[in-house]
Amino acid sequence: MTKTLKRSVIAMMLSASAAALAIAEEQKAPAAAPESPRASKPHWAWQPVYQPFAPNVQNKNWAHSSFDPFVLSKIEARGLAPAPESDRATFIRRATLDAWGLIPTPEEVAAFESDVSPDAYEKLVDRLLASPRYGERQARFWLDLARYADSAGFQNDNARPNMFRYRDYVIKSFNDDKPYSQFIREQIAGDEIAPGDQEVLVATGFLAGYPDNSNSRDLVQRKYQITTDIVDTVGQAILGATVGCARCHNHKTDKFTQKDYYSLQAFFANTAFDEKAPAKKGEAEADFQKDQAVYNEATKAIRARQKEIIDSVREAALKYHKERYLTDSREAIFKPKEQWNALDRWVNHRLVAVTDDNALAGFLRYAADDKSAPEHSAEIVKKAEEYQKLTQELRKFVNLRPTKGSLNFTAATELGHSDSPPTHILFVGNHEKPLDEVQPAFPEGITSELPDIKPTATSSGRRTALADWLVGEKNPLTARVFVNRAWNQYFGKGIVGTVSDFGKAGDKPTNQELLDHLAFTFVKDGWSVKKLHRSILLSATYRQSSDYREAVAKADPENKLLAVFPRKRLEAEEIRDSILVASGRLNERVGGPSVFPPIPANLTGGGNFNQDPAWITSKDPQDHTRRSLYIFTRRSLPYPLLETFDMANPQQIHSKRDVTTTPLQALTLYNSDLVFQWSQALAGRVIEEAGENEAAQLERLYLVLFGRKPTEPEVSALHAFLEQHQKTIVAKAENGKFSIAVPVTTKAHFTDPLRASAFVDLVHTVVNSNDFVYRF
Amino acid sequence: MLIKTSRREWLRSAAYGVGGFAVSGMMPGGGWFGAPDANAAAFVDPLAPKQPHFPAKVKSVIWLHLDGAPSTLDLYDYKPELERLAGQDIPASFLEGVKTSTQGGVGKLFATKRTWKQYGQSGAWFSDLLPNLAQQADRLTFVKSSVTVGATHDISILKLNTGDLSPGRPSLGAWVAYALGSANPDLPPYVVLYGGQREPRAGSVNWSSGFLPAVYQGTAFRPGPQPILHQAPPELIGLKQQRESLDLLHQLNEIRSATRPDDSELAARTNSYDLAYRMEATAPEAVDLSKETEATKALYGLDDEATRDMGTVLLRARRLVERNVRFVHVVSGPISGLGQADDASWDAHRQLERNHSAHARAIDKPVAGLLADLQSRGLLDDTLIVWTSEFGRTPYGQSGDGRDHNPWGYTQWLAGGGLKHGVTYGRTDDLGLKTIENPVDTYDLHATVLQLLGLDHLKTIYLRAGRAERPTVVYGKVVNDILA
Repeated sequence: MTKTLKRSVIAMMLSASAAALAIAEEQKAPAAAPESPRASKPHWAWQPVYQPFAPNVQNKNWAHSSFDPFVLSKIEARGLAPAPESDRATFIRRATLDAWGLIPTPEEVAAFESDVSPDAYEKLVDRLLASPRYGERQARFWLDLARYADSAGFQNDNARPNMFRYRDYVIKSFNDDKPYSQFIREQIAGDEIAPGDQEVLVATGFLAGYPDNSNSRDLVQRKYQITTDIVDTVGQAILGATVGCARCHNHKTDKFTQKDYYSLQAFFANTAFDEKAPAKKGEAEADFQKDQAVYNEATKAIRARQKEIIDSVREAALKYHKERYLTDSREAIFKPKEQWNALDRWVNHRLVAVTDDNALAGFLRYAADDKSAPEHSAEIVKKAEEYQKLTQELRKFVNLRPTKGSLNFTAATELGHSDSPPTHILFVGNHEKPLDEVQPAFPEGITSELPDIKPTATSSGRRTALADWLVGEKNPLTARVFVNRAWNQYFGKGIVGTVSDFGKAGDKPTNQELLDHLAFTFVKDGWSVKKLHRSILLSATYRQSSDYREAVAKADPENKLLAVFPRKRLEAEEIRDSILVASGRLNERVGGPSVFPPIPANLTGGGNFNQDPAWITSKDPQDHTRRSLYIFTRRSLPYPLLETFDMANPQQIHSKRDVTTTPLQALTLYNSDLVFQWSQALAGRVIEEAGENEAAQLERLYLVLFGRKPTEPEVSALHAFLEQHQKTIVAKAENGKFSIAVPVTTKAHFTDPLRASAFVDLVHTVVNSNDFVYRF
Repeated sequence: MLIKTSRREWLRSAAYGVGGFAVSGMMPGGGWFGAPDANAAAFVDPLAPKQPHFPAKVKSVIWLHLDGAPSTLDLYDYKPELERLAGQDIPASFLEGVKTSTQGGVGKLFATKRTWKQYGQSGAWFSDLLPNLAQQADRLTFVKSSVTVGATHDISILKLNTGDLSPGRPSLGAWVAYALGSANPDLPPYVVLYGGQREPRAGSVNWSSGFLPAVYQGTAFRPGPQPILHQAPPELIGLKQQRESLDLLHQLNEIRSATRPDDSELAARTNSYDLAYRMEATAPEAVDLSKETEATKALYGLDDEATRDMGTVLLRARRLVERNVRFVHVVSGPISGLGQADDASWDAHRQLERNHSAHARAIDKPVAGLLADLQSRGLLDDTLIVWTSEFGRTPYGQSGDGRDHNPWGYTQWLAGGGLKHGVTYGRTDDLGLKTIENPVDTYDLHATVLQLLGLDHLKTIYLRAGRAERPTVVYGKVVNDILA
C-alpha cells in the first residue's frame, strides 16, 4: 500500500502543473505526507462509520439532542461555555428561514413567544417540518447538487419543459420523508427498480440533468461527455469524492486510479434517456393540452404545408442530415439495424431524438444555396423559399405556444437491452485513445466489495448494483457526506468544510466523533432526513444566541467550536421569497411547470437556432410571485434578481452557496422596480393592519420583517426620517405638480399622500437593511 | 448627478479608511474564501486590489471576440497557392489528420476576389477588406498558427473564453478579476460590451465566473445611457430622496451593528450601498460619449451608419480602460440589414463575399481607430488588445460560395504593451488549412494574456473541492517568442 502511495506522489511531481501542485501540496502537507506510518491506514473517510462513545461533559443539563455533548465537550475543553439561548423571536425567525426559506408571520412569532408549554420548541419544529414549504426549501439544496435546470444549456439552450417533474419529485420526497437510501436508489436506477412507474422513473431526472447540445455532430464524444458529467455529479454529490480528477490521470491525492474512475463510468455505459415518455394525464397536462389545441388550430395550415414540403424531400434530407455527423458517429448511423451493437443503439437513439423536421429543413437550404450541389434545382429553390416564408409566418404565433409544462416526462432507459457497450480506460481522458477495457467496479481503495449485477430483460442491472452499494450499510461515505451537508446548511459550514470532497485534499473534520455520531444515527433512524433535521433544529447547539462574545472571538476566531451561533446572509431565494411574504404577495402554490416572471427586455437574447425566444413572460401575474425555485432555470439566462445574490450555477454540481457582498447587490435591492413595488405593497399592508397611528405602523413593520419591535434609537431615527423626507418630496414638485409613489392597498386610507409616500421610502429602506438580509 | 459631488470625497475616505475594507496579505493570485464565520473577522473585500506575481506589462485587456469565426484566409493569411488551385479538389495530403464533418469529401478549393497588399515596415499582408487596420500593421503581433477543438460554435466559443468544451469553468476575465481584484472600486473590474441591442445568444456562460464566486463574473453593459441593470433609482424616486434613504439605512445598520464590533462582513454590506450610489453616477459617465471630440468620434467611425455600432462599443471600451477596468470583453454584433441566422455573425457558410464585406466594414475602422486613439493617449503600452475567434474557416468551399469551420489553423493577433510588434508567429500550410509551425491553442493564448498582466497561469490557483484549479486547466504555455 505504501508503494502505491509513493507512486502517486511521483506522478504528481511529473505533472505539467508542478508549480500549482506545489502550492496545493504545501497547504495539505500533513495529510499528504506518504512516509508517516499512519499512511498505511485507510483515509479516515474511507473507514467504516462507528458509533462513538458520548463524551463526558461538565454541564450535564445543556444537551437537548444526542449529538450536543460532542459539541459541548470540545467547547469545554477550551475552557469556554456555550452561548446562552437566543430569544424566542430570533429563534423562530432563524428556524423558519432555515426550514422553509421564508420569514415567519408576526402571529407565528407571537404564538411561539407566548407558548409556555414545556414542548413549545418541539411543537414549533414539528409544525415547520410538516409544512410543504419544508420540502420546497430542502429541495433547493438538492437541486443545486443535481445541477437542476429547465433547459439543456450550450448555445441553443433548448427548453426541457418536463424537467419540473423531477423538481417536484424532489420536493415530494423531502415532504414525505422518503428514506435517503431510497431517494438515492430511485435517482440512480429508478427505471430498473420500478419499470413503468412514472413516479419513480422521473427520479432519474437526477442523471438526465446533464448539459447537452442537441446539434452536436460527434455523438460518440457526446455520449462520453454525458457519462462524464453523470459520474462527476454522482461522485461529488453522493460520495463526496472528486472522482473526476482521475479521468485524465490517477488521482493526485487520493488512492483513486484511472481504472477506478472508468470502472464507475462502466455502470452507466448502457444508459440512454427518453425525454418524451408520455406522462399520466393530470390537471397540468389538461391545461397544456388546452393551450396546445389553440396553437395547433391557429397554425394548422402552416404546419401542414411545412410537413408536405419536407415529406417531398424527406429521404434525401435525412440522408444529408446523417452525413453531417463525424466519422465515428456515421459508422453507427449507416449500419443496418440488425447489425447494431450496444453503442450503435445509443447513437441511433440519440440521432432520432434530435432529428426533427426543423433539422431536416437544413437540407432545403443547402440544396437551394449551393448551385453546384447535385440536388440543386429551380424547384428546390422554390421549396426552400416557401419553407422559409412559412417559418417566418409561424413565428408570429410564438406567443400562442404553450410554455407551461409538457405532456411528457424524462427518464433513463437502457433501450430494452441488457448488454452494454465496452468501457475503456482513456489515455489522458481522450475518448479517441482507448487503453484497457474495464468492467463495472467500485473504487478499490474504498472497498473490496464486488458489484452484484443482475441483468433484467430490458436493462443491464448495472445502476441498481451501484445504487445498492452507495446506500449499503458498509459504505463509509454516503451517510457522512449527507449529514455533513445538513450541518453545513444549518451552521453555515460543514464539520468537513469541503462538503463535496471528503478526500485527502479536502478539509479534515473539525469534530469527527460528532460527524460519525450523526451519520451512525442517521442510518439507524432509517435514513430519515426529517429526524436528522429535527435533532438539529431542537439541539442546544442550534438554540445558541449569535450575539458577539469577545472571549470566544479571541479563542476561536473561525468559530470551529460553535460556541456562538453563526449568523448568515440569506440565500438569493430566501431574500426574494421573504420580501414576497412580507408584502403579502407570495403565491403559495406547490409544484407544477416552471414559470417566467418578467425580466429586462435586453436580456432575452436572440433566441436559439430556431429563433425561439429564450423567455416568454408568463401571462398570468400569479405566476410572477411564485417561490423562486419555480422560476424557469434557463442555463444561459439566470434570473437577474437571484443571480446577483450568489444563486447556484446550474452548469455543474453546485456544492455550496458563496456569500459575496457587492455594490451590484445593493443596486439590485434598492433600484429594482420589483423590490420597490413589493415595498409599496408592504407599506400598504402595514397601514391596513396598524391603522393611522405612525408609531403603530413602525411597530407593525418591524414585527413583519424581523419579528421584533423597533428599539428606541430606531424609532427616533425613523421618525426623524419621515419628517425630513416629507419635505424633500414636497420640494420635488415642479409647478405644483409632482408624481409620488404611494402605498399600494385596496382597503386602507391615508389622509396625507405625501406622508404616505415618505413611508413607502422608509419601508423600502428597512427592507434593504442588514437585519432583513441576514438571519441571526 | 452633480448632487453627489460634495458627498463623494467624504464617502471615499469613509469607505476606504479603516472601516471594513482590508487588503489581505493573501498569496498572490488569490486565496479569498467566502465561508461565513460567526464573527466574520476574516471577511475581506473580494474585489480588493491584489498584487500580481511579477510586474505587469499591461493594466487592462480588451478581448475582442469576432463572433461566428471570420475567415482569416480572407483577411490576413495570404495564400497564393489557394488562388492557383481554386476550383480543384484539395490534395489529399492536406487533409491528413483532419476529421471533416461531411461525408464524401469536402468542397472544392475556394478563392475570393480579394486583392492583397503588404503594409508597414513589417510588410504584413492585408486583404482589401481591412484598409484601415492595415495602416496599423506595425502595431500588430500576428499568431498565424492558432488551433482549437470543436466543430460547432458553442463548444469552441466556450473553450475560447473558459478553456473547456462544457460550460462551468470561469471565463478568462473572471480569473483576472479574481486574481487582481478591482483597480477602480467605482466600476466592475470585468465588463462585457456587445454589438447590437441584445445580449449575444447564450452569452452569459462565456463571461461566467463558473466555480469562482459570482462577484468575479463579467458585468454585461447594456447599450444606451444606463449600462448596468438596476442602474437608476425606481421611476418616482429622486436622487435627493434616495440619498436620504441611504443615510437612514446607514443609521439603522449602525444602530444594530454596535453590538457586533468585529463584524466586517456587515460593515462591508453597509459600505456597499455607498459604492453602489457612486456607481449610479460613474457607470453612465464611463460610457457617456458626449464629451468626446468630433475628431475622436470620427476616428471610430461614429459618423457612419456602417461603423457606428462597433465604433460606439470600442470607444466605450477605451473609456473603460482609461478608468482602469481590468478586462473588457467585447463581442461583435449583428449587422442591420444583413439578415439573421449565420449572417448575424461572421459565420459565412454561404455568400462569404456578402457576409464578410459587411462584417469587415463594421469592425475595420473602429478597431483601427481604437489602436490609434490608445496610442495618441499614451494608453497603448498599458493595454493589451486581442483579436480572437472560436476558430477560422476552411480553404475549401461550402455551398459554392462560403467556407466551413476550421479549428486546425487560423489567425489571431495581439497589440499593445509587452509585445514584439510587427511580427508574425507560426504559420499554416500553403492552403491555410492546418498549422504547420508553432501551434498556439486557446490555453496558450490565455497563459500569454495572464503573463502580460503579471500573472503566472500555473500559480493562479483556486481551491475547489480539494482541487487546485487554474485558468489553463492542465494545459497552457506562454508564447514567449512574441513577448518583448
